[in-house]
Amino acid sequence: MNPAKVIAIARREYIARVRSKGFIITTLMVPGMMALYAVIVPMMTRADIDELRITVIDAGTGIGGALKTRLEGIESLPIEMQETENVRESEVEVVRQRFSDAVRSEEIDGYIVLTPDQQTLARSQYYARETGNILITETLESAVETTILENWFAGEELERLRAVQRAGMETITVSASGEERGGFLVAYISTTILGMLLYITVLMHGQQMAMAIVEEKNSRLVELIIGAVTATEYMVGKVVGVLGTGLTQLSIWLAMVAITILGILPGLAMGAAVAEFDLANVLDARTLAYFSIFFFLGYIMYTAMFAAIGATCDNVQELQQAMIPAIMPVVMAFMSTFYIMTNPNSFASQVLSFFPYFTPLTMFARVNVAEPPLWEVWLGIILLIATAGFTVWVAAKVFRATILFHGKRPSLAELFRMARAAS
Amino acid sequence: MNHQYALRCSGLTKRFNGKAAVDNLDLEVPAGQVFGLLGPNGSGKTTTIRMVLGIYARDGGEVETLGSADPLGVRDRLGYLPEDRGLYPKMKVAEQLTFLGAIRGLSQREAKQRADAWLERLGLGDRAKSDTNELSKGMQQKIQFAASVLHDPELLVLDEPFTGLDPINTRLLKDLIIEQRDKGTTVVLSTHRMDQVEQMCESICLIHEGHAVLAGALSEIKASYGESSVSIEYEGEAGSLQGLAGVREVRDSGRTASLLLENTAASQDVLRQLVDRVRVRSFKLAEPSIEDIFLDKVGYVAPVDGNHGDAGNNGAVAP
Repeated sequence: MNPAKVIAIARREYIARVRSKGFIITTLMVPGMMALYAVIVPMMTRADIDELRITVIDAGTGIGGALKTRLEGIESLPIEMQETENVRESEVEVVRQRFSDAVRSEEIDGYIVLTPDQQTLARSQYYARETGNILITETLESAVETTILENWFAGEELERLRAVQRAGMETITVSASGEERGGFLVAYISTTILGMLLYITVLMHGQQMAMAIVEEKNSRLVELIIGAVTATEYMVGKVVGVLGTGLTQLSIWLAMVAITILGILPGLAMGAAVAEFDLANVLDARTLAYFSIFFFLGYIMYTAMFAAIGATCDNVQELQQAMIPAIMPVVMAFMSTFYIMTNPNSFASQVLSFFPYFTPLTMFARVNVAEPPLWEVWLGIILLIATAGFTVWVAAKVFRATILFHGKRPSLAELFRMARAAS
Repeated sequence: MNHQYALRCSGLTKRFNGKAAVDNLDLEVPAGQVFGLLGPNGSGKTTTIRMVLGIYARDGGEVETLGSADPLGVRDRLGYLPEDRGLYPKMKVAEQLTFLGAIRGLSQREAKQRADAWLERLGLGDRAKSDTNELSKGMQQKIQFAASVLHDPELLVLDEPFTGLDPINTRLLKDLIIEQRDKGTTVVLSTHRMDQVEQMCESICLIHEGHAVLAGALSEIKASYGESSVSIEYEGEAGSLQGLAGVREVRDSGRTASLLLENTAASQDVLRQLVDRVRVRSFKLAEPSIEDIFLDKVGYVAPVDGNHGDAGNNGAVAP
């Protein structure tokens, strides 16, 4: 292989890819979508509950009024409080019938019944049409609890109580290598985001490169190229060029993230969705190191597959069909990361992470969410290196055997024969 | 390069689906000449070229390109203008040329300098930054030619280089080809246009259905066909040239005609017969044109036409 020629091919491919509309659009769109996901989506889910109309029925606890005031003051939920109904305990069932009818006829969305209790001052029940929204039930429950507590405490004790409530709980993941703040949620988000970056870049640029190869075949440019460089130089050049494109895009995105962390663009902060979310946690050195390894190897492996497929096709329609075998592993691997993140050390997760065509995404998910034994991680990486090398080797052979082939697309058996002949 | 031949092959064979596109072809291209690879469409010219350049694997035979049995080993010393022109439509002209030079082994810088120089020469300096598909076909073809010679190849293969060019650009391209030859480059010119071959080539190889039917120096080939042809201008009735004694074949174009004589025939006898039949405006003993030789060699027979009567042929039509 002549490195200068590989670079010449790679350089052309890189420039063509980076200048393409697709590159510019995705480069801008992906962070935009993530910002949307982070900022707008929570706002939308909040806005989804438009005006929760609630009545408090107080059967003699005396805190009905205070609860109403508290609920009205909640900012995260827009609650419209009806007048509190003060009833005798014996009347509760009768009154409740009336309110349940009101709920059914959608005059109100729900009501809270407070009944006196020796131990806890009040027991509470929430009757509503929709009880599945955890955000609502949790908010109401904590409002009731706080109201009861505040009824008991006063002055300095009350202040201390409020401070305790604000303190909340921090989640820290303990693993062999140390302790990590943020816990599962952080790992979940970083895995999804980084996995998606590999997924998007490899699918997008791989397919575009395959299409470019088909165009080169159709315009017979390939004759000039194959007359000047070896098929292997040609293919490796293509893969390197596309790898460069992916890395460029990734750098742009990471730079955007860095800027966000530095607070220059605080409004774009991806973490805005989640309380106590810190970007610096998501992108720690270990995550980035593993991501680099899996991105690099996975990218080369998948791209080589796209290149070989491009070489076997004569037109774009044919290519669309033929690319499915290269697209499927990427899609399936990405999909299985969602299972793996919740069950990182299950047997199925182990199997998924050792299957080399899935490893770039699946092993990365395992590494990021849990901390699997180091030998497992490195076994996965070694298998991946071997498979990536093998894939490139086979792809180069198929490429060499089929790049000038015009006519019917060769069958798999024919491909093997041609590849053997080309070696 | 002290080789006598820039390109030699023997027994060259290529089959597609069992059918031979090139069949046991021998070829000798003397170094430093413009060599004509002649043949009708589909005769196997392009397939031959692809094999000698190493683009196609051959099914049989030996190739010696610039002294090497492996054309790919000397690929940086070869230049190629393919028949189906292809350039990246969305690539800037100068970048395109630079790229095509770089894959032939020029350094990026060298390729860029030469690309710019060539664009200036071709009067396309102001289009260096245009996308290639914004250029006219003629311009693109000039770019493609520049790409084939950018790296100063020792052997330049041009497959139908004049297709689609206007007379001015045809002239320009001829000059550029001769300039390459004067620099010592061996040029293989593949074409089905016989007139261009006559003008430019010193040696030829005539291919028909994958076989070489005629090869050698053009002057020798013509000499061997001798004075066996006469071209005339005449006025007379259609068909009046048929059945002349001593004439092997008539190529009648209506106002002019060329008459292929039998070896023993004397041209004076033919003239005498002609004067009796038509008004002869000019009568010239001619070297046979390559076209005549070619048609003769591939056994072309004029189609039967009622007005011209039967000239003793059986009416078969060559493809």
